[in-house]
Amino acid sequence: MIRLEGVTKRYPNGHQGLVDVSMTIHRGEFVFLVGPSGAGKSTLIRLLYGEERPTTGEVVIDQFRLNALNWRQLPRLRRQLGIVFQDVKLLPTRTVFQNVAFAMEVVGASRKDIHKRVPQVLELVGLARRRDHYPEELSGGEQQRLGIARALVNHPSYVLADEPTGNLDPETAAEIMKLFQEINRRGATVVMATHARELVNQMQKRVVVIERGRIVRDDAKGVYAYESK
Amino acid sequence: MSLNSIGYWIREAGRSLWRNSWMALASISTVTIALFVLAVFVVVSVNVNHVTGLLENEVEIRVFIKPHVDRRREFLLMREAENWPGVRKIQFFTKQEAAEALKEEFPDQRTLFQLLQKSNPLFDGYDVYARTPTAIPPLARRFAREPIVHNVVYQGTVVRRLSRLATVLKWAGWVVEALLGLATLLIIINTIRLAVFARRREIQVMRLVGATSWFIRWPFILEGLTIGFIGALVADAAVGLGYHWVVQQAAISLPFWPMAAFRVVLVHTTVFTLAGGLVVGALASVIALHRFLRV
Ligand SMILES: Nc1ncnc2c1ncn2[C@@H]1O[C@H](COP(=O)(O)OP(=O)(O)O)[C@@H](O)[C@H]1O
Ligand SMILES: [Mg+2]
Repeated sequence: MIRLEGVTKRYPNGHQGLVDVSMTIHRGEFVFLVGPSGAGKSTLIRLLYGEERPTTGEVVIDQFRLNALNWRQLPRLRRQLGIVFQDVKLLPTRTVFQNVAFAMEVVGASRKDIHKRVPQVLELVGLARRRDHYPEELSGGEQQRLGIARALVNHPSYVLADEPTGNLDPETAAEIMKLFQEINRRGATVVMATHARELVNQMQKRVVVIERGRIVRDDAKGVYAYESK
Repeated sequence: MSLNSIGYWIREAGRSLWRNSWMALASISTVTIALFVLAVFVVVSVNVNHVTGLLENEVEIRVFIKPHVDRRREFLLMREAENWPGVRKIQFFTKQEAAEALKEEFPDQRTLFQLLQKSNPLFDGYDVYARTPTAIPPLARRFAREPIVHNVVYQGTVVRRLSRLATVLKWAGWVVEALLGLATLLIIINTIRLAVFARRREIQVMRLVGATSWFIRWPFILEGLTIGFIGALVADAAVGLGYHWVVQQAAISLPFWPMAAFRVVLVHTTVFTLAGGLVVGALASVIALHRFLRV
């Protein structure tokens, strides 16, 4: 369970990232964060994976209280999370297989487990036949799939995605969205910040609208709608 | 930590050294130079200590007794002096024995022998051995104050000069080493910083998937240690070969000069260069990581 309680994030330069945000996300949910650019969506996601700390208020994920998280606990929290970005942050000198394997290697997985698990996730995201290609040889959609495979490989309970379809054409974006739906169906909680209006409307999932750092709407089967300006 | 992780760290450290091989080479060279100088200091001080040790066994103070003092008083002073602090051993000699010794030392001086045979102008006396070179001057002064003593000669000057030289060498060595050590530290820090920079994407991904701080740090520490280790080996090998050659040359051209044994010297230089290389390598990595890697 993810819980935010009166969370305000003020950046050192005085910008308000979030203002008095409270919300709860239960296990197994699929939640869209929508809102105009600069609303605070990325700030919220960064608070969830401990990249930023709240100025006031509380952020709790399962047993982890992120306000008081120390350097020992942060890696433990991160192993529960799969994080996906618009810029996928792939390693250009490693192949598809190695990019995914890397995420397992650095948390101490054995060679045997790596060789068993990596093909599974590559199969899931539809990159099995691309395993020996380098990222630059992949299309945008394939690169994003690879990023998702890497996020999934360590069996995270929560998948956090910050505009994962931002760079993609609508058709590819729809495929990626389907992939997240499948991930959610298999049990992971998904929190996604996005601008993809059509897709959000089709998916009929919970939609949280953020404007100027505040939650202005939270609908169980919501649509993508907010006042521009 | 698991074996998987250790394997990963070693591979990563190797990969990084390989990728930045020019910078690594530069670091290894500076480490080598610094450790080479250190090893030369070690060689010189081991040798100075060796010679000092040998000379300490030589006669240190020779005390001459006034003529016409009787044996009983001569022995009395000797018994007393045996208990003075700093005295290791006293040996009494008569003026006849002194003459014999002279004859042995200068077998070709005929006129000297004739003079000695007619009337021996030498004195009875003691050979006094001190416990430490620094005990020599006060002992000499103390003997000189005794009424039956004619004069005191001590040859300990060489020993004292040598031990002073050893002290000076030690301090000069530390100062030079501190400067070289600092230069080495800075260049290794820079190497590690570049390695961190080259791997910033990997580090970012590692942090996101939950690698621990120490997991991320270890390859860089290994990299620093490797640079220090290789530098130590090269410096040690160079000094070892050099000293081996010097020992051989000395055996031919300075056969009477006592050189410290090759093995003893090599043990000392190895210990010092390895310790120096590893300490500087590890320290540089830790500093570099502290400053350039927030994990
Ligand atoms: N690292 C940062 N430092 C300072 N201000 C920031 C930082 N990140 C975001 N902000 C500010 O916080 C507000 C919310 O930004 P962000 O969370 O990125 O919005 P969104 O992802 O919804 O576009 C903006 O005003 C932005 O300028
Ligand atoms: Mg954003």
